[in-house]
Amino acid sequence: MSSAYADQKNVPIDAPLVLGDPTFGDITESVGVITETKAPVMWFLLVGFFASLAAVLGGSVGYLFWEGTGIWGLNVPVAWGWAIVNFVWWVGIGHAGTLISAILFLFRQRWRTAINRFAEAMTIFAIICALVFPMIHVGRVWVVYWTMPFPNQMGMWPNFRSPLLWDVFAVSTYFTVSLLFWYVGLIPDLATLRDRATTKVRKVMLGIFALGWRGSNKQWKHYERAYLILAALATPLVLSVHSVVSFDFAVSQLPGWHTTIFPPYFVAGAIFSGFAMVMTLAIVARKIYHLEHIITINHLDVMNKIMLATSLMVGYAYSCEFFVAWYSGNEFEQFAFINRATGPYAWAYWIMITCNVFIPQFLWSQRVRRSIPIMFVITIFINIGMWFERFVIVVSSLANDFLPSSWGYFTPTVWDVLTYVGTFGLFFTLFLIFLRFLPMVAISEVKGVLPAAKPTHHGHGGDDSHMAKVTAGNS
Amino acid sequence: MSSIVDNKEMTLSSGTPAVKQKRYWRSLDQLAETPEFKKIVAKEFPNGTSELNDPVSRRKFMGIMGASVALAGLASCRRPVQKIVPYVIAPDNLVPGKAQYYATAMPFGLSAFGLLVESHEGRPTKIEGNTLHPSTLGSTSAQMQSMTLSLYDPDRIGSVSLDGVDQSWDDFVKFWRDEFSTYKAASGQGIAILTESHNSPTMASLAKRWKKMFPKAPWVAYESVSDENIYAGLAAVTGQESLPNFHYDKADVVLALDSDFLQRDSESVIAARGFADGRRVTSEKDSMNRLYVAESLFTLTGGMADHRLRVASTEIAAFALALAGELKRQGLTIAGLSSQAMSFAGSKKKWLEVVAKDLMKSRGKSLVVAGRRQPAAVHSLVVAINNALGNIGETVDYHAAPDALFPNRDGLADLTAKMNAGEISTLIIADGNPVYNAPSDLNFAEALKKVGTVIRLGNSNDETAGAANWVLPMAHFLESWGDTRSTDGTLAITQPLIEPLYDGRSPIEVISLLLGGRETPGYELVRKTLRGVTGKTNFEAHWERTLHDGLLKNSATDPLALKVKSDALQNVLKRYPGQSNAVSNSNLEIVFYDGNLHDGRFANVGWLQELPDPITKLTWDNAVLMSPATAKRLGVDNTDVVTLKIGAKALDAPVWVMPGQADNSLALAVGYGRVAAGTVGSSVGVDVAALRTMSTFNFASGVTASSTGKNYPLSSSQDHGSMEDRPLIREATLAEYRQSPTFAPDMVETPPLASLWNDFKYDTGYQWGMAIDLNVCTGCNACTIACQSENNIAIVGKEQVGKGREMHWMRMDRYFIGEEDDPQMAQQPMACQQCETAPCEQVCPVAATNHDKEGLNVMVYNRCIGTRYYSNNCPYKVRRFNFFNYTKDTPEVTKMAMNPDVTVRSRGVMEKCTYCTQRISGAKLAAKKENRLVADGEIMSACQQACPTKAIVFGNILDPNSEVAKLKAQNRNYEIFAEINTRPRTSYQARLRNPNPELPSVGSEG
Repeated sequence: MSSAYADQKNVPIDAPLVLGDPTFGDITESVGVITETKAPVMWFLLVGFFASLAAVLGGSVGYLFWEGTGIWGLNVPVAWGWAIVNFVWWVGIGHAGTLISAILFLFRQRWRTAINRFAEAMTIFAIICALVFPMIHVGRVWVVYWTMPFPNQMGMWPNFRSPLLWDVFAVSTYFTVSLLFWYVGLIPDLATLRDRATTKVRKVMLGIFALGWRGSNKQWKHYERAYLILAALATPLVLSVHSVVSFDFAVSQLPGWHTTIFPPYFVAGAIFSGFAMVMTLAIVARKIYHLEHIITINHLDVMNKIMLATSLMVGYAYSCEFFVAWYSGNEFEQFAFINRATGPYAWAYWIMITCNVFIPQFLWSQRVRRSIPIMFVITIFINIGMWFERFVIVVSSLANDFLPSSWGYFTPTVWDVLTYVGTFGLFFTLFLIFLRFLPMVAISEVKGVLPAAKPTHHGHGGDDSHMAKVTAGNS
Repeated sequence: MSSIVDNKEMTLSSGTPAVKQKRYWRSLDQLAETPEFKKIVAKEFPNGTSELNDPVSRRKFMGIMGASVALAGLASCRRPVQKIVPYVIAPDNLVPGKAQYYATAMPFGLSAFGLLVESHEGRPTKIEGNTLHPSTLGSTSAQMQSMTLSLYDPDRIGSVSLDGVDQSWDDFVKFWRDEFSTYKAASGQGIAILTESHNSPTMASLAKRWKKMFPKAPWVAYESVSDENIYAGLAAVTGQESLPNFHYDKADVVLALDSDFLQRDSESVIAARGFADGRRVTSEKDSMNRLYVAESLFTLTGGMADHRLRVASTEIAAFALALAGELKRQGLTIAGLSSQAMSFAGSKKKWLEVVAKDLMKSRGKSLVVAGRRQPAAVHSLVVAINNALGNIGETVDYHAAPDALFPNRDGLADLTAKMNAGEISTLIIADGNPVYNAPSDLNFAEALKKVGTVIRLGNSNDETAGAANWVLPMAHFLESWGDTRSTDGTLAITQPLIEPLYDGRSPIEVISLLLGGRETPGYELVRKTLRGVTGKTNFEAHWERTLHDGLLKNSATDPLALKVKSDALQNVLKRYPGQSNAVSNSNLEIVFYDGNLHDGRFANVGWLQELPDPITKLTWDNAVLMSPATAKRLGVDNTDVVTLKIGAKALDAPVWVMPGQADNSLALAVGYGRVAAGTVGSSVGVDVAALRTMSTFNFASGVTASSTGKNYPLSSSQDHGSMEDRPLIREATLAEYRQSPTFAPDMVETPPLASLWNDFKYDTGYQWGMAIDLNVCTGCNACTIACQSENNIAIVGKEQVGKGREMHWMRMDRYFIGEEDDPQMAQQPMACQQCETAPCEQVCPVAATNHDKEGLNVMVYNRCIGTRYYSNNCPYKVRRFNFFNYTKDTPEVTKMAMNPDVTVRSRGVMEKCTYCTQRISGAKLAAKKENRLVADGEIMSACQQACPTKAIVFGNILDPNSEVAKLKAQNRNYEIFAEINTRPRTSYQARLRNPNPELPSVGSEG
């Protein structure tokens, strides 16, 4: 049995994962119908709004390409600014999806089924947003492909010692695997929609992407093996991608960056922020699309616990950095951290501490964990706090490094802000399109956790060694 | 060293008069013959096509430039077509792509700076000092370096004009012929000429002719910033006009009273060299000189001081008198000094006692100097003190200046009075910019309106040209023939490097024209003068030798045997400025000082605008400097705008708080706030004119300051002045050094540095390295501009500097040590350290920065994609990034200043110091052709070559006999951040101070 509820006194150990005791048909109906009926006016309004924001991104990037990176607030010493902060932040957010899909899958955390599709989609879109930044932040965008190892007439290879190159590999691999994983998970649901389709276009389009899924036993057998393998492949990636991103900093010699704690610290922070973002989105979506019985308060409660745990981890990392700086006896290192907390960027540091360490402590209270409005506010704070974490790491370390003569201060320009805000436009546009056209909840997997999936004479599920072994095609 | 080439190459086709360096223009002339071109120019200048018949004018020049671009567009829509036209007759000795070097001399007030100018295909690109010339000794200042940029200034005027309507030189000559005969008949009644000060034999002979031709016409020389007071003070007690020559190298003890002899004073380059020679140590056994400085605003001289005392400029006079009194008390006879000496209490008294004692100990080996802004009386007293100490003839001597036109402020006042009285009907203003920088109570611009005809010879459409009738374009000194004498009398020839770009004539040509109504080429005038000096026998040989060397050998005059007259000193002391106007909280003083722009003449030189002031680190602005205590009392902080008032006159200016400034003393740089300097220099900073009158010309007390509540953004290149106790500039006293000679490397505990892999050995061939002796580096910034000129470094403007995007590869880090109000200052040149294990190289994803086998950290611009990671990972933050395409708007003419051996970087590329890799390659190629090794000293980096104190040494560190290896072997040698295993190739020699044990160390007094 899932241990997620085991410590919860008033949640029965065998509490149902889906409320209201729906039938398979109910699940298909409630998820599938969203993609089939005419979208509400609100959806159009939102898509219009966010697509405009995405256009702002396009405009900002166009201006950037025209004028150069000088339109941002960058300088020497702070040669990296919001672009890198945003990159790391979005990559971090992209962690939750694969974590939920892969690691929780391997750990048999069956409550994940309610949110995994959602989280995976978010991962894909977050990585798309993240990938925007390394592409555009270089000085000469027209030759950014030189970072790729490809045979060329110059006989030049990229510098394999550079963490930025590792980054290119890590993030692109992660994106590829996440996309595959998401798509493989979608196949049975796409088939369900295909079978429900009433128009020719829907039939053909969904038919193409459903890859001829029939829901046969043999297909299920292969499917599950493939899903398991992908989960196993994705699992190390969850850990590796942010570890590699952290190498961008840890491998340099800059005080405040040059820290061995960075890989685990970054991974914990990524999961933290990823869960916060999933929560933010899920809370809204379940309300609008009336999926409270599928994404239940119990799911949210469990995710809150994970956020609390990861908050403690990043809190530990923050204090550990100070300890190591003191213990190292390295004056530059010591200065870097004291300066973070008391220097020109102290405001950012204390925003980070407040949002990431102090505010999540409310989650110790079960009342908070089960209060939708409060947890929503907390997740917003965490999203902000995690952005500031990256801001503090990137900017405050650069602004005051070895040579006091070169110390500077970074002030963002309107283009920094617009580019960042624009990525929200891109993200939410993609997300809204996803909500509209694809099943936002993994229909087949949710069916797998219904009591009906494992019929016994006791009336509720017993064997949980297999999931989703249910005919998902027609019901 | 590649500078002095042999005689043959050097001579500029000496046989032909008015040397035509058509190398650059010839091709364009031919281009101008093509029908397309003519059509386009006709289209572009419908009313000005007649210009084509004139020699190259500025408009035509711009037209050609514009047309060549337009042509490209017309001739083909796809691809720009550029015509390459070969020389019809190739100039002798010109190998395309190979630089040539010519000696010349830069006239500057009564000084002359011997230069060696690098020229590429007929365009001068780089200025170096002439090692033979006594005023530069091979070094340069930032201002001299920037002369190439001022030559290619697109804002220079291109044609003669009368009341704004274009005319030709012929028109002016025609006009003047009539005037000339009228004035000649009237013995010059009604005419006057206003020039800058000159020390030129040809100019002096013209002045003599002027006096003969127009006996009633005054010739006035005026300078807004000059040593006028020094000359006057000297003449007052010796009875003879002469020029001082200081020998700082011979002085063991130097006392500077409000004098910035290392940076801003007239002969700062040789002063810095001499001072450095007296200070340089090679081991703990050496001794070094001792410098005492009493000054109001922090200067580089104050930064080098072993003891610095903050004294308001107003109080320096009393301070000098008190010193004289103290010296007398200690037994020195100063004839003419009565017992009325002032006295100071407290720490100043103690300071004076100790300094006097030190001076007494080093009689004949000491030197007292006072700053140019101090009144003549102070200089008289200082001459008397030096005389009494036996320093005259030892550490200072005086040379006759028969050819000097001394600057004279009172002369300008007299002239203005005459103008106001309507006595002047024609005024000739040759160079200078009196409308901008004359004392404001003279109302010079108003007086000009009462003059019938104002004839102006000048560089640009500046303030004075705006008030003139005839405006004549003046040739730059790099375009004209001339001659100069330096302060010791050495005669040097100003040799043109290029034909006038803007149809300009030199001052001697124009004045000669004014004197006869006949045009005589400068070449003839100068030859005539030299013939007068050398005699006619063997003249051509003398002439060629002089052109080659840049100076006439053995032309320095013998020092004068001057007597200081006691009665004259008594007279001076009778009118001596008293102590009564001592500054206080209610009686502030304002000090006007000259910064990078000198008197404002360099306002349109972008390099100098962007060059951070060595002390304040401000760029593109001047500001009211005040001590932290004064700022606190006034309730203002950096960038707050204050209103300064002297009586009814008021001026608004932003505040910049400067540690080390004397309390209640404010300082403001002159030369800013010009309204018609040009595209670069107009409306930059504030004009001091409102407060600067005849009586407040140098400094004045009785100033009040009040906050306006407004704010004005200032761009500084360095925001943080403390070293945060990091061992960056390592410093000790001479005594401490003797006790622990390896104090510098010992300051940091370097752990055993291991490497994960087998390091490259760097043990064969050339291994380049650099050593910078901080003990003699004054922080004068010459290296910064030399580097900028050599390496085509872009200027980015005030806003970009404010954002922290300045591009200087070589920068000067300035740190304060000690109390906020009265700190010590130290300067550290910082450029790429060429780390053997460079952190930047590892992180570049595309391998655009790599190491070569000679230990250079090389940068491949066309591989760089601009991730800026390498800047982040550089502990020294010496990499510079092209955030925008900073070179996009470079005017065509300014592109001629670019060094063709160095890539001009575009947007999105990281750049940094390369140890002047182009010079290294050039020298290696030359050596290879001669089948030899590059000799030590053959390659000089641009910064090294410019450095007045020879603090920077570059060379092969594997050669134990090289200068650089010897410096690195010294026990003061240390590398910055060696402990993080970067293994920099640039190392520093620690700084020493030589404080007097009888005084508390610097920073704790005052």
